[in-house]
Amino acid sequence: MLLDRLLRQGAITEVIGSLSSGRTSLLTHCLREATRRGGAVALIDADHVFDPVSAAAAGVDLRRLLWVRCEGRRQDALKAADLLARCPGFAVVALDVGDSPPRLSVAAAFRLRLAARRSGVALVVVGSRRIVGGAAALSVRTRRERLAWAGRGNTPRRLAGMCTGLQLVRKQGAPSSGVLERVWWTV
Amino acid sequence: MSRLACVLVEGFAAAALERCEPALRERPLAAVLGAPPATRVVEANARGRAEGIRPGLSDAEAVVRCPTLVRRPVSAEAEAAAHHALLDACLAVSPRIEDVAPGCVHVDLAGLTRLFGDDETLARRLRRQARVVGLEARVGIAATRAAAGVAARVGPGLHVIAPGGERAALAAVPLAALEWPEGVSATFRRWGLATLGDLAALPRDEVGARLGKSGLAAHDLACGIDRGPFRPWSQPPSWEEAQGLDWEIVTLPALMPVLERILERLCARLAAAHMAVDALDLRLALASGGHQARTMALAAPLTEAAPLVALLALELERQPPEAAITGVSVSARVLPRRAALAQLWHPPPPAPRDLAAVLARLALLVGGANVGAPIVLDSHRPDAYSLAPFDPTEPNGLADSTDEPATGTAATEQDERIAGPLVLRRLRPPRPVTVETHEGRPAWLHGLSNDRAEVVTCAGPWRASGQWWDTDPWARDEWDIALADGTLWRLAHDRITKSWHLDALYD
Repeated sequence: MLLDRLLRQGAITEVIGSLSSGRTSLLTHCLREATRRGGAVALIDADHVFDPVSAAAAGVDLRRLLWVRCEGRRQDALKAADLLARCPGFAVVALDVGDSPPRLSVAAAFRLRLAARRSGVALVVVGSRRIVGGAAALSVRTRRERLAWAGRGNTPRRLAGMCTGLQLVRKQGAPSSGVLERVWWTV
Repeated sequence: MSRLACVLVEGFAAAALERCEPALRERPLAAVLGAPPATRVVEANARGRAEGIRPGLSDAEAVVRCPTLVRRPVSAEAEAAAHHALLDACLAVSPRIEDVAPGCVHVDLAGLTRLFGDDETLARRLRRQARVVGLEARVGIAATRAAAGVAARVGPGLHVIAPGGERAALAAVPLAALEWPEGVSATFRRWGLATLGDLAALPRDEVGARLGKSGLAAHDLACGIDRGPFRPWSQPPSWEEAQGLDWEIVTLPALMPVLERILERLCARLAAAHMAVDALDLRLALASGGHQARTMALAAPLTEAAPLVALLALELERQPPEAAITGVSVSARVLPRRAALAQLWHPPPPAPRDLAAVLARLALLVGGANVGAPIVLDSHRPDAYSLAPFDPTEPNGLADSTDEPATGTAATEQDERIAGPLVLRRLRPPRPVTVETHEGRPAWLHGLSNDRAEVVTCAGPWRASGQWWDTDPWARDEWDIALADGTLWRLAHDRITKSWHLDALYD
């Protein structure tokens, strides 16, 4: 499954991509799969952009989701991620830093990795650029490949879906290039 | 045949003080009452009694008898808490207990033999439970409460009177070993009575005619007969532990050890009753004469003292007391304890202890209103949600579902598959924009980062409205638009205010 290929317990996975590239849908997919397996998940939302309605429609069990809203305070988001990464029992801890990712020192990134390794938490960092660097076990870039509209001509009736290409940027102990997979997100 | 136990704590006032300060168990201790020079000893612990300290001695006389004697004023809060602890300990053995007096509880043992074992085993269990809550108890078991009470007061710490042998067992007990009302013991001596057997041999009516109600009660005790009904005691809705302080506490680090001791005692009681703390009420008596109270609802029920101390420390750090503290009282609202695992094949959720501490720290960091589990409200209004306390141990309704999310018809190639729905990133608040329309459809957008953005494709409008029957109506047309810079937005036109705004971004 995509979740197993992307996330690993005790390691950091970075998902980077531009706006409308499908990175949030990929994160929601991971949260959905983790909650379907009965795990508790946490989402640190730096910019307060998470949409519970579409997440619920995507199949995320919201009762198992701890949502931490940081209202734009990115340093608080990093502190919250550090706290949650040290708490054993969460299947996935996701940090969504949005389009203005904070600076994270190398030492802080490796401290975060150590915390995740000790607690066995799968930590996902989602943003527009890499901030964890070498501490991430896997870095994946999302790229929008095409859109699908339902209807004919220049006046489509509705948005039908979006195809996202997942490109491997970095993987510990493996060649760091190539397209992992193409996935469709439907509306 | 009924079997009843009497659980008795000797020198209860001193035992209650020992429970608050366990280090005093190793030293002779006297609980004293009254202002000097009229201070009198009320009770003494076992070491104090061994040194000859008796109730009624003056403070000076007690110190002469035992120079190393530690004196502490009698504490009503400590006694009340210790008595409740004793009741809780007994309740852990039998559901039917009777509150007799401070430090004395009757326990109905009917039917417990098949569960726990014989009378000796039950007596040992009662004593062990009392020890768990910090009290050293004597236990007597007999067929009647009166005989069990005498058995607990005299003889070894665990004393079982065989069924049917009550009268014979009591007959040898000296009258001087028991406490009698003022005047009654002197009368017994005048009559030449030495043992309970002597008293039981007298006609009951004659004793009653001469000594009144106290004489009748004494005769019943000597015969081992219960006259009154068994009055069962049930648990109170909240559990409280308190400690008065002889000194004023000004700093939080100095308060922590006191809170730690109080919560350890409270948690020991709750553990005996298989309960967990759901919420804590902390009440601080201040040197200014006032009180400060605060309530702390826990994210998850807890049974251990250490995380509760940490949470109270965080709470007090957030709102320090306004004056020096002279007394501390903690009461807990409780829930029955339950297993940590919600379902057999699911991974265990975070331990309640860890989770409660993390949630408290997160609330301190980002505000309590920004932490929780989202709930989608039953409304068509966009972005209708609220936050609820996070409890991952609740049964998971979706976990057993094997349904895939709704799929479309967009996948066309073999190596491409549908992973799930496309989700939104909300703009909160929605960003107002100016829209140029062409044939009623959005064509250009003003108000984003660049001056003018071309709408490459758009789909819509999707019309929605609600609350038109109320004071807060809403009505809007929604469009999905793709801009020339590659972004994909949900655009909304408010039909009431005639304004446009960007609601969310497809990502």
